[in-house]
Amino acid sequence: MSKGLKHPVGARLLSPGAPRAKRATQALSLLLTFLVGCANQDQQRADHAIQRYYMGDIAGATKELRPLAKKTNENFVLNNVRLGSIALANYDLDAAENAFLAAYEVINSTGVNNGGRTLGAVLVDEKVKVWKGEPYERAMVNFYLGVIYYMRHDYNNARAAFENALFKLRDYAGDDEKNYKEHENNFSPAILMLGKSFQRLGRDDLAQANFDKLPPMLKTLGNPQLNEQSNLLLVIDFGYGPRKVTDFDGAMVGLAPTPLEAGPIARPIVRVDGAYQSLEGVNYPPVDLLALAQDRKWQSMDTFRTLKSAIGTGMIIGGGVEGLRGITGSGARQRTDLMVSGALIAGGLLLKATSQADVRQWELLPRTVYILPMKVAPGKHEISVQFPGADVRQTWRNLDVPEEGEATYYFRMNRWNEGPFDWPPAAMAEVNTSSAVSGN
Amino acid sequence: MRGSLTWLWAITAVLFLAGCSSAVQSGHNMALDGADLVKMTDQMAMSIVADPEVQAAIARDGALTIVVEPVENRMRAEVLPRGPSEAFTARVRVLLSRHARDKFQWVMNRDAFYRLRQQEIDVDLGPEPQRVQPRYALTARFSSLADEDPKRRSSYYVCAFDLTDLQSRTLLWTGAYEVKKVAVKGFGD
Repeated sequence: MSKGLKHPVGARLLSPGAPRAKRATQALSLLLTFLVGCANQDQQRADHAIQRYYMGDIAGATKELRPLAKKTNENFVLNNVRLGSIALANYDLDAAENAFLAAYEVINSTGVNNGGRTLGAVLVDEKVKVWKGEPYERAMVNFYLGVIYYMRHDYNNARAAFENALFKLRDYAGDDEKNYKEHENNFSPAILMLGKSFQRLGRDDLAQANFDKLPPMLKTLGNPQLNEQSNLLLVIDFGYGPRKVTDFDGAMVGLAPTPLEAGPIARPIVRVDGAYQSLEGVNYPPVDLLALAQDRKWQSMDTFRTLKSAIGTGMIIGGGVEGLRGITGSGARQRTDLMVSGALIAGGLLLKATSQADVRQWELLPRTVYILPMKVAPGKHEISVQFPGADVRQTWRNLDVPEEGEATYYFRMNRWNEGPFDWPPAAMAEVNTSSAVSGN
Repeated sequence: MRGSLTWLWAITAVLFLAGCSSAVQSGHNMALDGADLVKMTDQMAMSIVADPEVQAAIARDGALTIVVEPVENRMRAEVLPRGPSEAFTARVRVLLSRHARDKFQWVMNRDAFYRLRQQEIDVDLGPEPQRVQPRYALTARFSSLADEDPKRRSSYYVCAFDLTDLQSRTLLWTGAYEVKKVAVKGFGD
């Protein structure tokens, strides 16, 4: 066997290297099975965790995601942002900060996909690449990190995180100076919160400069007096963010639904101790992630994938033509044509198979984030947020509103997450006690 | 066949590398890191001990009573979480405690005191911060200028440390550590 078998006319059908090739193929198959198997199992656990979260089982979702978020594989960032979202909704601010920081560090690093991942993504499967998110997803990582610091009155770090949200958008706009400006202006939630952070840091000049960048429909929201007098800030995640979709052969990736398909964004109603709170001019959505996602330029990898798919199609067609020629031909020429045909079709299929879109995404993103600064009487209040158009509501009891400064509360609107909840939540109780003692 | 075999092994190797390399190990982050921490705090501790004004104050008043504050983050678009923000000034304190024990007396800052008390650890934390009045404060402010284009990122850091006389509101000592970091973006960045 080691010497190979001989063809009747003397040609060696199996070379001496054949057993090695066989072993290599077996090893490759085993390795692929192992990698794909592990990845699928992790993906199933992540999907299950997200389902549990949407069903209101936050503790169960956290328990499933926590071990996944520790794995420093290609889904490290993705699983950490998922965990961060869930921890934030659960007011476990330490866990949310740690998760978003872990994601933030990798997102802000260069060369993360070195060490074979880039080549693997090009040759084999784009999902081998470490997921760093689309631009709007990266901006939201920084935005949530900023919200966490803002909630803790750590305004310097909040400012830094909101700046980074804008900085990142600039990064992905490419060389075009005009595009870069549009991107920076587009992400209004970070601009607004950056202005508020500067205001809390006593930099009214920089606060005003940021409020001035807001689009006309958000001018009321960016009113310096309104924000300065506010002692209650509600940050409300509403709706569902964009989903990645593929075309018929799984190559092209797009984002759906479009804002037109999804319809207009519902506006919130806020009741404090049952009394309707006027939100005139401020309950305008600062961003529509569905619209933002449609604007984004894609990575070069997407272009490459499309190219691979197109070449693959060409090779299959070429292989078919060559095959027809082989069938109608004769002799040695026929054999050559058939071999070339087979090789072309196989190569084309391989290219198309490896050009499948990477549809990994941060499923927990909202469609928009309402930012509502309000002035209410200091003390404990029952606060209810309702979206009549979407039939979702959430109520919190005993929310503390200070006389001075601004208390920030985060609401994740979800059909199975109505409450009423009591403040402080379990995850927050310990931190609150500590803050009260230290007088922060 | 040999060529095919080589390709097969190459693809296997790529898969292996791709499967094993960690998302947090192969990247290059421009943030201030452990090496900066050591270099910066070594420089600051040496500079404080050697400073003539500091030496004169010690000769005049005895050991300086100092409270250490976490770093104030003024960096552009860069978060500095609580742990690292405390580590930068804490290491200066540790170095001075170790090498100039008789010249400095350290007072725990208010937040750290209450945080430790909250943890109910079995250690005597000493008197409450309100009862001990430090004369000096060791503070630090980190600032940065960041720039980014499609090919690279760069950040220039200025990390300023101050030893302030809280009674007279004057600076007894000041020092700074400066560093520039550049990262070239790769294909996947």
